[in-house]
Amino acid sequence: MRLRTIVAMLVAMAALIAAVTALPAGAQDDGGKKKVLRLGQAQDVQTLNPFVAQDEENFRAWSLNWDLLVNFSPDDLSPVPGIAESWEVSPDKKTVTFKLIEGAKWSDGEPITSKDVKYSLDKLGTDSLIFSGYTSNVTSIETPDEHTVVVKTKQPDARMIGGLFIYMIPEHVYGKVPIAKLKKDFQPPLPMVGSGPYVVTEFEHGRILRMERNPNFRGEKPAFDEIQFIKYGSVDAVERALRLGEIDAIPEAQAPSFEKLGQADNVKTDRAPSPSFTQLTFNLCSEENCPDAKFNPAVQDRTVRQAIAYAIDRERVNTISTRGTSFPGHGILPQYYKSWYEQPADDYPYDPDKANQMLDDAGWTRDGDGTRSKDGVELSFDLFVRSESPENIQAAKLVAEQAREIGVDFKVQVVSVDKLTEITTREVDGKMAPDFDTFIWGWGGDPYDPSALLQLITTDQIGGSSDAFYSNPEYDRLFDEQAGEFDHAKRKELIRQMVAISQRDLPYLVLTDDPWLEAYRTDRMTNVAKQCPKPTGDVLCQQVNYDAIAQLEPGEGGDDGGSSTGIIAVIALVVIAVAAFLFVRWRRSRGGREPLELET
Amino acid sequence: MNPRWLAGKVAAALVTLVFVVVFNFFLFRVMGDPTTQLARLPRATPEEIQKLKSYYGLDKPITGQFLDYAGDTATLDLGISQRTRRSVWDEIKDAIPWTLLLVGTGTLLATLIGAWLGVIAATRRGKAADDGLLGFSLFTYASPEYWIGIILILLFAVWLPIFPSGQQMTPGEDFSSWFAQAADVAEHLVLPATAMTLMLLGQYFLIMRSSMVDVLTEDFITVKRAIGLPWDRVVRRHAVPNALLPLVTLSAIQFGIVAGGAVTIETIFSWPGLGELTYDAINDKDFPVLQGTFLVFSVAVILANLIADCLYFVLDPRVQAT
Repeated sequence: MRLRTIVAMLVAMAALIAAVTALPAGAQDDGGKKKVLRLGQAQDVQTLNPFVAQDEENFRAWSLNWDLLVNFSPDDLSPVPGIAESWEVSPDKKTVTFKLIEGAKWSDGEPITSKDVKYSLDKLGTDSLIFSGYTSNVTSIETPDEHTVVVKTKQPDARMIGGLFIYMIPEHVYGKVPIAKLKKDFQPPLPMVGSGPYVVTEFEHGRILRMERNPNFRGEKPAFDEIQFIKYGSVDAVERALRLGEIDAIPEAQAPSFEKLGQADNVKTDRAPSPSFTQLTFNLCSEENCPDAKFNPAVQDRTVRQAIAYAIDRERVNTISTRGTSFPGHGILPQYYKSWYEQPADDYPYDPDKANQMLDDAGWTRDGDGTRSKDGVELSFDLFVRSESPENIQAAKLVAEQAREIGVDFKVQVVSVDKLTEITTREVDGKMAPDFDTFIWGWGGDPYDPSALLQLITTDQIGGSSDAFYSNPEYDRLFDEQAGEFDHAKRKELIRQMVAISQRDLPYLVLTDDPWLEAYRTDRMTNVAKQCPKPTGDVLCQQVNYDAIAQLEPGEGGDDGGSSTGIIAVIALVVIAVAAFLFVRWRRSRGGREPLELET
Repeated sequence: MNPRWLAGKVAAALVTLVFVVVFNFFLFRVMGDPTTQLARLPRATPEEIQKLKSYYGLDKPITGQFLDYAGDTATLDLGISQRTRRSVWDEIKDAIPWTLLLVGTGTLLATLIGAWLGVIAATRRGKAADDGLLGFSLFTYASPEYWIGIILILLFAVWLPIFPSGQQMTPGEDFSSWFAQAADVAEHLVLPATAMTLMLLGQYFLIMRSSMVDVLTEDFITVKRAIGLPWDRVVRRHAVPNALLPLVTLSAIQFGIVAGGAVTIETIFSWPGLGELTYDAINDKDFPVLQGTFLVFSVAVILANLIADCLYFVLDPRVQAT
């Protein structure tokens, strides 16, 4: 090959590089003006179709796209106008009349009417997984005119205002589709017609979900033009992208690296209580409800449970198992529920001496290996925990370690989710027959209305969600009463009494209240405020409402165009390598013309 | 090519495939029931969960479920994803090009560079260059690919931020032209493809080196040199073609295997290929998607083996003689 050819090739490659690198720069000029908020996540929105959804991640898109009939206030989560502007409860509390906002429009320009409300409550309320159960008390939904909806219930149901977590979806889009299709593979057409500040305009599953401003949004125009949810392979990858400025915020960071993430430049982390907790569950199923249940009878001794509660330092469990990212628990109602929460009187502060004393007094004596027993029954319990949660496994080990101090033996058994589900939902002859002493797992509730969590230990839920199989007629009565009580102060008092009962009987020992762990770039996002509820809530108001995200404003710093330095470097390297290779060959081929060259 | 020989190979491939299809079904049933997770959803009523089970066919006995599955697979209906409710085939169709791009680039580079380095090492056997290359390739061969991936990200995305740390293109960007988009993809491809290349490089290098060392000690090489042919001509024209055979078959077989083995690299670099699809489906217990991706992986391996056999047949006259 001639030297001239090599030079020509090099020139051609250089021209190619110039062409490649010049174009993206031009593209950035066009796109640079758009204000985009990029959120990174490892768990993708799975589907936009609310009829088939099973995952909480989907709420990230829905809560921006849609309203509830009655929304939650970002201040204290109390009921504020959503699609309904006002509401009125009849004297017998069994009829609620909603007046809808007049002149409100869907993003496609159609008016929002009472037909949409009826459709959503009727269909989403009964034919979906995630929105069902709320309308179990509803007997009729009437629409006397376009802007009025009258909902009648069997018994008074306070959830009608502030507890109906069912999104209002457009009847003119979904009503045309047969319900069988909606429950099979229906994909909502894009842009996804909605009433919130942003609507989904692009959804590439596993990559990106793009939401753009709703032109017909009735509230104040939000500052960002576009919200992007970007999917990464793992939470590690998401956190890396935030440090590098590839994204602006993370709705779900992870406990082990949370502290370190907050130390990165321009990154701020935010930790807030969420409506969920992690609990140590005791098997309290009675002979009557579960004749074939298997458990150590000592687990049903209230004094034993109370002693265990005193022996466990929940602060320590939180500090070690979740690296201090959760909040020590105080009973079945998480402190997230600010409107209803009150620290319970029986709070079981860490006091191993008292625990020992209680067991001594009750006649549980220590034997050779230090485990207490009475009448041949040993205080030795199975403690099941899910293999997929390192935090729960750590918590279980701490529980076992601390209980050993008071002569109670917990045998920690790490099992799969399926195994744990199997032993907690075992049935024999049509009756529940749970096969465990204790386990650690968690529950999550709704924003504002605490009924979803409070009902977990009602008798009605045995065979449903109940996993402690607790049954107490007094608690059940209070639950029904609070569920129908529209007066805030009265309802709060009823809830206080319920929490007091559950703290005395301890079907659950709530170890930690679980947090929202969020992180964002301070140079990309301003006007950030802790809310939902103020001043302790999370900065994105996750799964609650759109107010927090709609109020965000773009920051000064950080240009979002990816630089082309990398590709230039690679091309340059390739060019140099090719040039060197060709040059060597050229030298060799010249040398090769001498036929008698000897090489060794 | 001998038609009887070919028919035999194809038949063997089909039998393997049927076995894999049957095995896949039972493999994923061991993971448990996808509706168990719903038990922790306080909102899901028992009736709705029951309805969902019957929708998935999970209330049928296992033989009935298997017959449904076998029938659907035979008619190439891979079903609907339980989570996204899109057709599994659509999910796979979106992911395949990205995996092919990554695995193809990685395999190609690893084969070329591995072969090249193998020749260099073999011709300098026992010298410093050989020792160095041997050490390097054993090191990359032994390192887990996720570790290589993380180190590459640390070096070239965090400390020296010249490459993006993940994704296949800048998310949400509106590209002005196909060309700009291709450049963006190329930029995103560099790190994962490098990780892939390093992961595969070692074995290609080792095979090429040992095969070259064998060939170089054969008599015909001595004869060529005795005739007075220049050394690099002996290597290029006579030694390399003879040493290449094991490398070609290895790279064909490997291509099938790594299509599935890219799971870790794809996950680390958030590369939206089959690997990440599989990883997410495992997390979500999405059986139809898992069955679909495993079917694709199996078909890839079986096909690659078949192709390797055929290549051998074409390349090596000794196989044809038998």
